[in-house]
Amino acid sequence: MRHISWTAAVLLLFSGLCYPQDTSSTDPETIRQLVQQVKDLQERVKLLESQQNQSRQNGSQQNHTDTSTLNPSNPPTPPVEVADQTAPTPGILQEIHETRGIQWRGFGEVDYKVLSQRAPELGTYGFVPGSQGNFYSGDFGLFLTSRLTNKASVLSEIVFEEGDAQTFKVDLRRMLLKYDYNDHLKMSFGRYQTNIGYYNWAFRSAAWLQTTADRPLVMEFATNGGLLPTQAIGVSVTGAIPSGKLGLNYVAEYGSSDTMRPALNGDGQVTDENNGNQTNVGLFARPDWLQGLQIGTSYYHDQINNNPLSAATGAPVPPPPGSPGPAARYDQTIVNAYAVYVAHGVEFLNEAFLIRHALIDGSLHFDTPAFYSQISKQFGHIRPFFRYQYVNASSNNPLYDDVGLRYGPSFGARYDFNDYIAFKAQLDHTVRRGEPDLNGLHLQLAFTF
Amino acid sequence: MPLLICLASLVCVRVTAAQAGDVAVVVNDHNPVAKLSRAELRKIFAGQQRSWSAGLPIRVFVRAPGTHERLALLKLLGMTEGEYKQYWTLQVFRGEAQAEPSTLPSNGMQREALATYPGAVALVNLQDVKAGMKVLKVEGRMPGEAGYSLN
Repeated sequence: MRHISWTAAVLLLFSGLCYPQDTSSTDPETIRQLVQQVKDLQERVKLLESQQNQSRQNGSQQNHTDTSTLNPSNPPTPPVEVADQTAPTPGILQEIHETRGIQWRGFGEVDYKVLSQRAPELGTYGFVPGSQGNFYSGDFGLFLTSRLTNKASVLSEIVFEEGDAQTFKVDLRRMLLKYDYNDHLKMSFGRYQTNIGYYNWAFRSAAWLQTTADRPLVMEFATNGGLLPTQAIGVSVTGAIPSGKLGLNYVAEYGSSDTMRPALNGDGQVTDENNGNQTNVGLFARPDWLQGLQIGTSYYHDQINNNPLSAATGAPVPPPPGSPGPAARYDQTIVNAYAVYVAHGVEFLNEAFLIRHALIDGSLHFDTPAFYSQISKQFGHIRPFFRYQYVNASSNNPLYDDVGLRYGPSFGARYDFNDYIAFKAQLDHTVRRGEPDLNGLHLQLAFTF
Repeated sequence: MPLLICLASLVCVRVTAAQAGDVAVVVNDHNPVAKLSRAELRKIFAGQQRSWSAGLPIRVFVRAPGTHERLALLKLLGMTEGEYKQYWTLQVFRGEAQAEPSTLPSNGMQREALATYPGAVALVNLQDVKAGMKVLKVEGRMPGEAGYSLN
């Protein structure tokens, strides 16, 4: 039987090779058919070779016509071939790349930003404060993973971030030893991005992964002026909760963070929060009844100082008049709720936050509400987007006295040249309390490799 | 009478065409699972469910872009090819998956993979189902049956 199959394969091959001599050899349709025939034959040869290897190993060929695995009550009638394989062949292992080495991926970006004012505003990712417009390279990230066992793996993200005067600093943004016991218990140990809200979990730090050119202000990394403690070192546990069609999942994190947040208004100060250990717990649902919908909430707590420093020298700076001194501790509580829908080319993100700072030895407390809403839709290579964001920090809040009230829309589009390169153009309009409105144009070339 | 024969032929052609388009969900012969809901199937192929009910790790295999099985997969996930690639880049980057599902160039290799990995799952055209592949019911229906939703 095998000889007959081989003969048939050889005859098919010859007939395929002879075919173009009888017709127009440059006909694209003919070439397509020939390529398809060659592919079919290659597949057939692979199958025959694997059968041959198997028969050599077993000493005799076995014929199986077992159809018991099909539905016994009403089985479909597919053609049943001979000789099932029970041992892996070298071909399949090579194809699947069963390696234990390091897999890595890179992310980069080149940006150009213009603002409507020359007055200083915080410069991040290499954008020069006080300039009207300049190029910068943002984050260049190397993402590495390595599978140790079926359940354990290592993940790390090393970012080279542009700073002042085209200097670059290295940030180990994530470094995790992961152990997935099962779908209900997945543990990570090391430096992680806090699961406060959706954005920090979903987009991490690579610009290429985001639709917009930048992150919403409230979800910006703390080292770039963002309001939240976005990173910590400790343990993070997550998993599915048996909940049927509701698709509930939990998140629990306990770790240490030490946030250094530069002032947004470009006054050259950095707040060293000296955070205590943080606890973050969250729940989210991915209901079966609407594919792409995710609804979640989280609760975060730690204790912080308001310890302003000079960004240039690191020397302490007196806190705002009338505010508690740098030794005062505040309870920091962050409550988040979100509803996102990502499916069928639509991305609709909505997140709201309430950040409370309460003086531990006193009744003083400040609430800072914030939200953003972002919608985009893919049309072929292009994805237009619109985002509206809002942050309202009390001007008496010594921790966020640089933030104040900021709100406004952003809109633009992302164009994907291919699976690796995207270009984004974004216009921003920000209304600020006590300051003139700020307009900005942000162009970005983001790529992965 | 000839009219009846013509009508019967038309019906047969339509049924055959429908069955030929069905894509079977196949697993290793020894996998005790016999049926899945469409939502479970979507979670498995989206990497959100990573072990079978018995605790066996799931190993997903997919066909190359352009194949009928791949189109059925994209339809199941509600994604385009580009969105599928970006989705898996995100999943790996988030730490939610160790790697994108292995893409295999032929049904023969899918068959080998199913035999090799006890937790393997793949999508195969109904007419390409071979011995050693255990076909699962989806929403209580086998491929080829009326109302089967994966095609």
